[in-house]
Amino acid sequence: MKEVNVPIVAVTGGKGGTGKTTVAVNLAVGLQFSGLRVMLVDVDVDGPCCATLLGAKHEKAEKVTTFLPLIDETKCTRCGKCVEVCHEHALVAFYSGTPKPFEELCSGCKACQIVCAHGAVGENRKLIGTVYTAESNGLRLITGELKPTEPRSPIMARATVHKALEELRVGGYDVAIIDTAPGVHNTVAQALWVADLALAVTEPTPLGAHDLNFILDLTQNLGLPTEIVINKFDIPGGLKEEIYRIANDRGVQVAAEIPIDDELLHAYVSGEPLLKKSAGGPAARCLASLTQNILERLERMK
Amino acid sequence: MKEIVVASGKGGTGKTTVASSLAFYLSLKGLRVFAADADVDAPDLLLALGGGRTVVSMDVEASNKAIVDSERCISCGKCVEVCPFGAMVLPVGGNAVVAELMCEGCGVCTLVCPTKAVEIKKAKTGVINVVETKHGFLCVTGRLKFGEHNSGHLVASVRNLARRKAQDAGSDVIIVDAAPGIGCPVIASITGADYVIAVTEPTPAAKRNLERLSRIVNHFGISAGVVINKSGLSVGIEESIKDWALNEIGFHFLGEIPVDYEVVKALVQMKPVIEFNPSARASKSLIKITEHLVDLL
Repeated sequence: MKEVNVPIVAVTGGKGGTGKTTVAVNLAVGLQFSGLRVMLVDVDVDGPCCATLLGAKHEKAEKVTTFLPLIDETKCTRCGKCVEVCHEHALVAFYSGTPKPFEELCSGCKACQIVCAHGAVGENRKLIGTVYTAESNGLRLITGELKPTEPRSPIMARATVHKALEELRVGGYDVAIIDTAPGVHNTVAQALWVADLALAVTEPTPLGAHDLNFILDLTQNLGLPTEIVINKFDIPGGLKEEIYRIANDRGVQVAAEIPIDDELLHAYVSGEPLLKKSAGGPAARCLASLTQNILERLERMK
Repeated sequence: MKEIVVASGKGGTGKTTVASSLAFYLSLKGLRVFAADADVDAPDLLLALGGGRTVVSMDVEASNKAIVDSERCISCGKCVEVCPFGAMVLPVGGNAVVAELMCEGCGVCTLVCPTKAVEIKKAKTGVINVVETKHGFLCVTGRLKFGEHNSGHLVASVRNLARRKAQDAGSDVIIVDAAPGIGCPVIASITGADYVIAVTEPTPAAKRNLERLSRIVNHFGISAGVVINKSGLSVGIEESIKDWALNEIGFHFLGEIPVDYEVVKALVQMKPVIEFNPSARASKSLIKITEHLVDLL
């Protein structure tokens, strides 16, 4: 499975737009300021934004491809076995002709190749996305980006996580921060699967609370220690108490309460992490104290 | 009957706020509305509509999972070798074990197992409910089992059921609240729809994800329009989104919604903002956007 001894912190949250990337990017920068060698991994492959928030430029691009069958018409006996075993119905044979692969549906599982007794299923590759890497002032950034129109986000997420683990195994890092996609589907699970600690970023609204319960179900199922970060905790008319009630019921701690702060918003819009710009404002102080909190936790995890 | 999908590349831009107000206002105008929540990861539309009474509830079993018969397994490790998703694990001295969260149910393991110890079984993908909202119209909502792969299948089931029920009810319009992103559940939400409302906000991250969303919307050839929520955050980005939407990708510009804490208060009261406070700035904008949309369609 993981086979690396670098601690991995995943930033997740259930609902979209609660501030996952803001927390992940600032945590990465904060830990780096504390002297750690940090890797930041963007596994929100549908809409990766860490680079935008960091103001970083992707330097290297590596294409991610998966297996796609290539049917050799001269060897194919039209027995139909490959069509039968394809659980995605990605191989279709019209009027006993040679089966044709439907690229969008293929999961790359190779069942067709394994089952073909005539060696008629060769290998083609299908592009599903790109893994970008960059160095941003000493911070290593790995970003997985799904190719638009390709539906298989989980496979792209898995490839991104693997790339990160590969680099972590080589060494040179003290901690890795993973920014996950919103939701609780498999793209998120792929990232949480390798984590040692999760931060669930939520907001004090009925929607935030509702979706927080779902993500806590997932992290609990994975046996993954989780803490809650309440973003915009002081939003007028908000439901902070409801989030604390969930935390209490679940035996999960609230690690931070981030206030609404124009400085944070400006940092977000200008593409520079708040902790790089300022340490004095209310949101910056809170993110710095969250960093300290995680730093102590990492010490204890050693 | 028109099917309108509210989508966004980035999460938290205000899809559910737009969808709930759109459904409420169209219903108020006398249209027969049907609602569907296709964000099966974070199904919040019903919350924003104030909940309701569940009239139908059903499990959806669109997933497949491998199961190992430990009596037959000889621990040869062949299934571990071929599993493309890393879902087969062979502990030292033990039998093969399936890591359910990783298993896509492709069945490659069953093809290579020499003792036929692996079987593929149907598994639960999620639940679908049909709920009667207090506004009088129905809402179909799906909820994915956590960690599942097949959210696209569940979304397709939600939309199919919504279409059937809407047809039975003689509905004029189906409002679909989609998941964020551009992957399988989003593709399953928009294919074959009549119109996509792409909700964004004037930030670089949201703009970037809107660009990605526009690529799949245009790929499937669906008419679409942009709504800029939380307008006023950055005038420069807002102008560039408008210009780009109209000239580069051929989307309509439907309007903007200002930052307005009445939206949050409405959410906490579990009411569409137009119902909660019709004279709020956000409500006025949403009414204007809806009227614009009605004219377009």
